[in-house]
Amino acid sequence: MSENDKYYIERCLDGHPDDYRHLVRRYQAILLANLAGKLGNKDRAEEAAQEALVRAYFNMGKLKRPDAFFSWLLGIADHVAKEFQRKEQIKRQREIVRSFSQDAPAAELSQDYALEAAIAELPHAYRNVVLLRYYGEHSCNQISEQLDMPLGTVTKQLSRAYAMLRQTLQQQEQAGSLSPKE
Amino acid sequence: MKCEDCKGILVEYIEGLLGESQKQQVAEHLKDCPNCRAEVQQLTKLHERLVQNGKALARDDFENDVMNKIIREQNVQLKAASRAVKALDIRRIIMKSPFVKIAAAAVIIIAVLIGINPFGSTVTFADVIKPILNARTIICDLIIGSDESGPVMHEIIVDSRIRRTMSNMPGMTHIIDLESSQMLALFDEDKTALYIDIQGDLGDRTQSYVRFLRNIIMKLKDNPNIENLGEQIIDGHKAIGFKGGNSNEEVTIWADAKTLLPIRINLRIGQMYSILKNFELDAPVDESLLSMDVPAGYTLKDAQFDLGNSTEQDFVESLRVWAKVLGDGTFPDAIGTESAMKDVAILGQKLGEMNLSEEEATQMGIAFGKGTLFHQIIDGRGDDWKYVGAGVKLGDAGKAVFWYQPQGSQTYRVIYGDLTVKDIALEDLPK
Repeated sequence: MSENDKYYIERCLDGHPDDYRHLVRRYQAILLANLAGKLGNKDRAEEAAQEALVRAYFNMGKLKRPDAFFSWLLGIADHVAKEFQRKEQIKRQREIVRSFSQDAPAAELSQDYALEAAIAELPHAYRNVVLLRYYGEHSCNQISEQLDMPLGTVTKQLSRAYAMLRQTLQQQEQAGSLSPKE
Repeated sequence: MKCEDCKGILVEYIEGLLGESQKQQVAEHLKDCPNCRAEVQQLTKLHERLVQNGKALARDDFENDVMNKIIREQNVQLKAASRAVKALDIRRIIMKSPFVKIAAAAVIIIAVLIGINPFGSTVTFADVIKPILNARTIICDLIIGSDESGPVMHEIIVDSRIRRTMSNMPGMTHIIDLESSQMLALFDEDKTALYIDIQGDLGDRTQSYVRFLRNIIMKLKDNPNIENLGEQIIDGHKAIGFKGGNSNEEVTIWADAKTLLPIRINLRIGQMYSILKNFELDAPVDESLLSMDVPAGYTLKDAQFDLGNSTEQDFVESLRVWAKVLGDGTFPDAIGTESAMKDVAILGQKLGEMNLSEEEATQMGIAFGKGTLFHQIIDGRGDDWKYVGAGVKLGDAGKAVFWYQPQGSQTYRVIYGDLTVKDIALEDLPK
């Protein structure tokens, strides 16, 4: 890992917009994972991730604490995800009206993103640690530095997150085997 | 080591964060304890799955896509900003140039007058539309375009009169009386006033924006195809939305979920989009603001201008102005009301630099205004039209710039780069 977020943000604000590239590279997989988990579809996750990164770029000046870029960016991504979900909901309503069908088709969540969906549901503190560890390829020590928390807290949060993930995944599997796919 | 202690440090164990002796202790314990062994297996499985997924999601060109999007967006923003700055800079030129006075008047009128189309069928969002239908005075902002990048027109509407000011042309006010099909333009800078006639063809088939909106709404009542868009936060308010229309017109109304007063209305007529917002219904209005008399202190220009009956020839002339003046010999990326709204000030600046006589400038202004109105009429009427002139050189007889199918006609009228016009069958339209 080269320079920290704050360095690149200051460079961007200082008239070197191309340095934003480093931040995009650093967080793209994290955003994609989070959004694929929420939206259940890779193409839409990509679209939403790009949108979130573009918005973050144009609002960078409003970011008060540059070292909190990561959680701020995730917040924007969450917001974009909500917008996308809302749009999707409206689109679906329209389709229902058009087809005169009585029941709404259940939201399709691809099995491929079962894990990401479970991560997206974690409490934010746990979610952020998991995303940084696996999708941002940070070591536990780097996370502790980036999020400014003791190493022991990072591992404890990971441990709790694992437990929750396992539970959610188990429930998903059970639900998947019990109810016939309609 | 107890199971409890072991489980407490398994994450550290897997992550390789333990010191030698602790690592040994865990390894020893795992040898003897099938329970903890199973736990490690489970955790490792999850850990590996996470590692795999993390690698699978990255994509090489993602980064470039984002950077390109940022560059594109930046260009759009820069362009809008330079437009705004230019618009303010050239205020003086605008006020001195008769061309801009006329063209601005035309643009203003364009946004008021809308072709009428019979509307199909008719649902009950009656509660939402009642306030719009019943208000005697309406104050709102109107923006032409599908986004909010265009200039804002501030409107005060009382009965058949509208008082309008525009954000990109300060110092200019228009009062439009739809009953008499007349418009009074007031210019603060040189304290002049101008009457503009909008009778004729245009006057007959047009009506006020608000009345048009009311008509659409009336026709939409009891329409089974009306869509309930549900609740959303619009401009900071919890709002309820409805959408309806036909192929030529579409209206989306967002009203405050509690008071049912309108918050935002999006309207599409033909290929023109507009946004109405910041509503104040039945606010007290000083009606002298809407008087059609020349206010004290203003001098009335003796010339009367007629923007009434516009023809295809006017439209062709307006295309010439677009290409020659605005595009330096090349047709612009887009024409029509939205572009005219945004570019009329820049156009005025360029014309100011050309040192035309007042007579010439006025002629050009009328042609441009009437041409833009002609386009507005065919769009509002629902004629099939397309502008394909982006980048075409003025004088290029081999390339089409615009075509449309006049109402009731079997063939299309095609306008070429040299501004000749031909009748062409649908299948022969340039690709």
